[in-house]
Amino acid sequence: MENETAQASYVDGYASAMLGIATVEGGEIADEIFNAAIALNGNAELIDVLADNRIPAERKQGIIDDLLSQRASSVTVAAITFLVASGQARRLDEIAKRLAYLAAEAEGEVVAEVRAPLDLDADQIDRLSAALSKATGKRVQVKVIVDPSVIGGVVTKVGDTVLDGSVQNRFTELREQWG
Amino acid sequence: MLTQAFAQVILATEEVATTSEEADSGGGIDLLLPASEELLAGIIAFAIVFFFVWKWAIPALNDTLAARQKAINDEYEAAENAKVEAESLLQDYRSQVAGAKGEAAQIVADARETGEAVKSDIVTRAEVEAEDIKARGHEDVATERERVASDLRRQVADLSLDVAEKVVVLSIDEQTQRELVDRYIDELGGVQ
Repeated sequence: MENETAQASYVDGYASAMLGIATVEGGEIADEIFNAAIALNGNAELIDVLADNRIPAERKQGIIDDLLSQRASSVTVAAITFLVASGQARRLDEIAKRLAYLAAEAEGEVVAEVRAPLDLDADQIDRLSAALSKATGKRVQVKVIVDPSVIGGVVTKVGDTVLDGSVQNRFTELREQWG
Repeated sequence: MLTQAFAQVILATEEVATTSEEADSGGGIDLLLPASEELLAGIIAFAIVFFFVWKWAIPALNDTLAARQKAINDEYEAAENAKVEAESLLQDYRSQVAGAKGEAAQIVADARETGEAVKSDIVTRAEVEAEDIKARGHEDVATERERVASDLRRQVADLSLDVAEKVVVLSIDEQTQRELVDRYIDELGGVQ
């Protein structure tokens, strides 16, 4: 229990630091850090390498540069490099989600974590955000996480509420009904 | 009795006197008769003896006879009492034997009745238990059949769902994925 509390405190601390950087730098830095962290976290072998203490920090930094420098700002690359160098490679997912939550909270919004097998286009994100805002009664900031394990449809998590619209879930419900 | 004895003695004496007179008058018989003095002395002696006998011996004899008679009567009475008592005891014994026989017969009858009741009870319970076992057996068979059928249905359903899921998953292309996302958004938008 104490260990979990300490972990949450670590995650919260790093997320707050990332939010501070994003606030200073402005723009889409918070989104970039979120997307970069989620993207890296999606590759388990890459995370194993970044979390391996036997691999020099320079080597890890080189990997991150190779992967992100063409797609994100130097601030985002530096922030991710900092998290990895601090030994938080295995917590990138948690820190990214906490960052999104804090950023949305700072703007008076709530975060909707949307997992889908493919990236959503801008129109779908806008419509989904509107639908979720209508459903929850709050302004919702959609964060899309591409997850190939989600088969057909979308799984949305707003706070503790999960709205599972995947085909997989439909089959699960059918199994429960027939079981 | 005593008077009769005296009368006999006097008659005997008179007969002796008569005989003596006849002897005296007749001659030969006098040879057989004692002298008068001797006769008188005999009579006196006899009277004395008779008196003692009459005074003490006969009463003593009578007392002895009476005592013996009484003892005999007592013994007889005791024997009668003993006989009566024995007959009473015999009657009691017979009654007891008869009672014991009756009681034994009753015990046997009761035991037989109890045995029959126990036997009937055991048979009844065995029949009820057998019926229960049979009914439970039927229920178990029905339950097992239903369970097997249910398992089979579930397995068929799972298998069908597995196949359907694989078919659906394989048939979902990017366009379908986007359509599913759009449908999800539309359904979510309909939620108030």
